[in-house]
Amino acid sequence: MPVTKVLTAGIGEANLRDVNVYRERGGYKQWERAVRSMSPAEVMDLADKSGLRGRGGAGFPTGRKWQFLPKDKELRYLVCNCDEAEPGTFKDHMLLEEAPHLILEGMLLGAFGIGCHHAFIYIRGEFKRGYQIFCAALEEACKAGYVGKNIFGTGYDLEVTVHRGAGAYICGEETGLLNSLEGKRGEPRLKPPFPAIEGLYGAPTVVNNVETLAYLVPILEKGPEWFSAVGTERSKGYKIVSISGHVQNPGNYEVPLGTTVRELIELAGGLRPGRKLMAVQPGGGSAACIFEEHLDLPYDYESMAKAGSMLGSGAFVVFDDTTDFVKAAHNLVRFFAHESCGQCTPCREGSHWMERVLERLVHNKGVPGDLDMLDRVSGTITGLNLCALGDSIEPFLKSVLRRFRDKFEERVLREETMNV
Amino acid sequence: MADLVNLTIDGIPVSVPKGTLLVEAAKTVKQEIPVYCYHTKLGPAGLCRVCLVEIEGMPKLQIACNTVVGEGMVVKTQTDKADAGRAMVIELLLVNHPLDCPICDKGGECDLQDFAMAYARSSSDVADPKVPKPKAVDLGPTIVLDEERCIVCQRCVRFDDIIAGEKQLVVKDRGARDIIATATGEPYHHNFTGNVTELCPVGALTSKTYRFKSRPWDLNRTQTSCTQCAVGCQQFADVRYGTLLRTMSVETDDDISDTWLCDRGRYNIGFYSSPERVTQPLYKKGGTFVQVDWTDAIELWAKAIRDALHDGGPSGVGAIGGGRLTNEEAYLLQHAFRGAGVANLDWRAGHQRQATPGAKSGRLADIENAQAIVVAGQSPEELAPVMWLRVLKALRKGAKLIHEREASAALRQAQGDTMQSVALIWDGIDLAAGKTFADAFAGVAALSTFIASEQGNARGAEAMGMLPGSGPGFASISNAGRDGWGMFEDARNGKLAVLSIFGANPVRNSSVSDAMNAALGSVPFLVVSDLFMTETASHATLVLPAKGALEKSGTTTNLAGDLLPVNQALQPPDGVRSDLEMLFDLCDALGVDLPAPDALDAAVISAAAKVPDFALGDALFKTVACEERQPEHRPILSGGGTWQHDPTMAPLSAGNGVLV
Repeated sequence: MPVTKVLTAGIGEANLRDVNVYRERGGYKQWERAVRSMSPAEVMDLADKSGLRGRGGAGFPTGRKWQFLPKDKELRYLVCNCDEAEPGTFKDHMLLEEAPHLILEGMLLGAFGIGCHHAFIYIRGEFKRGYQIFCAALEEACKAGYVGKNIFGTGYDLEVTVHRGAGAYICGEETGLLNSLEGKRGEPRLKPPFPAIEGLYGAPTVVNNVETLAYLVPILEKGPEWFSAVGTERSKGYKIVSISGHVQNPGNYEVPLGTTVRELIELAGGLRPGRKLMAVQPGGGSAACIFEEHLDLPYDYESMAKAGSMLGSGAFVVFDDTTDFVKAAHNLVRFFAHESCGQCTPCREGSHWMERVLERLVHNKGVPGDLDMLDRVSGTITGLNLCALGDSIEPFLKSVLRRFRDKFEERVLREETMNV
Repeated sequence: MADLVNLTIDGIPVSVPKGTLLVEAAKTVKQEIPVYCYHTKLGPAGLCRVCLVEIEGMPKLQIACNTVVGEGMVVKTQTDKADAGRAMVIELLLVNHPLDCPICDKGGECDLQDFAMAYARSSSDVADPKVPKPKAVDLGPTIVLDEERCIVCQRCVRFDDIIAGEKQLVVKDRGARDIIATATGEPYHHNFTGNVTELCPVGALTSKTYRFKSRPWDLNRTQTSCTQCAVGCQQFADVRYGTLLRTMSVETDDDISDTWLCDRGRYNIGFYSSPERVTQPLYKKGGTFVQVDWTDAIELWAKAIRDALHDGGPSGVGAIGGGRLTNEEAYLLQHAFRGAGVANLDWRAGHQRQATPGAKSGRLADIENAQAIVVAGQSPEELAPVMWLRVLKALRKGAKLIHEREASAALRQAQGDTMQSVALIWDGIDLAAGKTFADAFAGVAALSTFIASEQGNARGAEAMGMLPGSGPGFASISNAGRDGWGMFEDARNGKLAVLSIFGANPVRNSSVSDAMNAALGSVPFLVVSDLFMTETASHATLVLPAKGALEKSGTTTNLAGDLLPVNQALQPPDGVRSDLEMLFDLCDALGVDLPAPDALDAAVISAAAKVPDFALGDALFKTVACEERQPEHRPILSGGGTWQHDPTMAPLSAGNGVLV
């Protein structure tokens, strides 16, 4: 089985929350090396060469994202997005509670790479324990002189601010996060301008996912070639996959990108005896389902996109033949309707309308036209929204509605039985 | 000329300056792109998603409100894809909208209604009940909110933030449950609340004064200028069956109002139909008022003036007013009295000494571009509210606000030396202070000065010659008379036999109302022209019922010197006359030559066009014959009073000019 422990190395074996333990295992060495002997441009270059792509969901090349920062503006910020709330994703949560120093070191490297002096981490409201662990780790790092003024005597200053959110999914969207961080209502901003040009407090800002930043540490240690040697042509390196659903051993598995879907299911212990695979949602709540014909596809950004879905945040949810897909669709659409910030029309009204229709279907009270309405509305609103949330409603709903339409039709009242 | 960008919209070639938004570019060629959340003055928000267009080379539909034009862009507003997207957005807006158009005040001028008719499907797939939300929410003293009708475009929230600078309105809750409310739960209350009812594209925010009163197509609309302060905002007066129901802003009025109205201009309109208005001339006989007809009233007035001139000479006669009249009336006022030989003429009946800033008079738009706004005297926030919005606009651009209290003379001097553009706003009260400020900033390359007058047409009255020392167009007068305060002092000393006051209430607006009561009480023949039985009018021998600004036509001059039209929108109550009509009759009765109507207009235009070469605190205005009085903050509005109209009271005269 192709399990590789990179970020997950030591988790469950050693108390990585302790700065001494983390240091004994080579922690903060890369940070010291970067600050003492490297230039920000070199760090940025390594990130670019490694082929690292954003692990939060969009999969955007990290080095490219950094390069969008305007060269002539010195004031800039790095924000670490730890508002992990994509349904099915629980990798950042684990790293936060088990390897806080790794996240911090990754943040420091990222901040150094873009040449900023103030980095923020936005932690999801529900992660109270993780927040406490991270704050303790940050305090230790400050005491050790890794964060603050004149780091390692080089004259480089870097401050880190920890912010705990209030649990809104929308604050994981990077501009919603920035608004929330500024103390405003957590609503995504109208783009352009993009955060790289006008982000936090109006300054150029990079928002990176926890896992993305954490991978900077091994990339610096082992070199970009080590990272880009694994994976597929355009999806390089490793990925923590949160496998859940109808498997025997759900959990976080760190694998090279390109591992097949079938291997991932087997890695998590396979299906329960006697059960049949119906669908896999390979990239979080916003992803469409893939089916048994896709089992031998490599799990990477391109193949998932080609199959009509996406790799997303690496939340891998397995559905067997006990699943009620009407309920599953209702569950997800209800989630999006509940988490819609309500700013823009298609998402606010569309999600809520579909939720109510699906709720009727769950209770076997569909009316003729409901399924066509779901198909039409979910499809038309995709692409019309202010941010990606509204566009996230369609993929799962439509993939299961089309695949298992008969299951949905069973829930629609036939006209002769309708109480007119 | 800025760089032009060329593109086509629906095949029509368009050339617009670089940086123009697509939605604005489309307006230049009259291609309609529907919008809800976008507003020219508020900028793009990207919330409603109805302004979808197709742009060649872009796979997704784009919102025209946040897309900047590009060279060679090919934009299509009417393709199947754009139509489908737009129809979907409107369909979604209607999912939870109550569709109570038949009882909605907005019906007939509602963007949701109009765009639904124009762009949406005519059928609906909605099989579920609508989300119930609070109805008829009492948002504050002026506004009622229907949360169900709201489409959460956030125009009101953004207006409150970026234009009014109040941030009282917010969106509460989330998703389909979100509502508009004040952040604190306190009533929604500031000087500009009424604007949100106009910005609201649906019938969610409605004015209490207009709720359930009319349909828009039943209104007779007249464009006029608001005369309640000296800004002179352009407004529409909407009248139904002879009653003024509402005033609305004029969306093309960028120069004066910047398309906003203050709540005073918008809501202080009920007095036109007040039952307390005086509607017949009243003559005080034996200590009580009796009704007389106009012929008798004019004859009594003219006789008193003739007698006083004959007995005591011109120094025993005076006239005060003009700041609340039209330019034509102010001109005729000084024409009638000067023609009869009277020199005691002044518009100033309160604290203000000067209304015309002279050579450095600025345009209202100058304020927006100033680096610093200097406020001397009372804040223009209350005196000229809509001008204050321009100040806020400048502050948002980074201008500094320097208040008199915060700046010593030396500091002002220093700031005057470093600033390139300054807007100086003064209340016109303390002449010495005005001069100090003008001197301190005299070196600024772009200095624009403004005087925020208490009275709407104070500047016009000065230009029309209602000053003791200058005639129309600030022509110098050889025999200067007494100014307002001088006349009051003469009155107290029994030297004034006849005093005529037009549209002024010195008793209410004076900080020494006892002395003012005594002064006016000592005038043997006091004539007051007003809409109401004011404190001042109650001293009068003769009360002349006047028309309000919306009941007559003419012109007014605002604080920036713009000559603005005043158009009749309302039929006045029977029996009232405009000051112009009274003064024509007075001229006749006094044997003063009447100017021909055309000549009057020409004289007004020529006088208004004069830009006198003086500065703040100029000697021209220093004709004070009594001690300077300390100003005091006072309500600006006139009105109130004690007179109750009694229709059963028999007229005193038989209508033939002979007193019974």
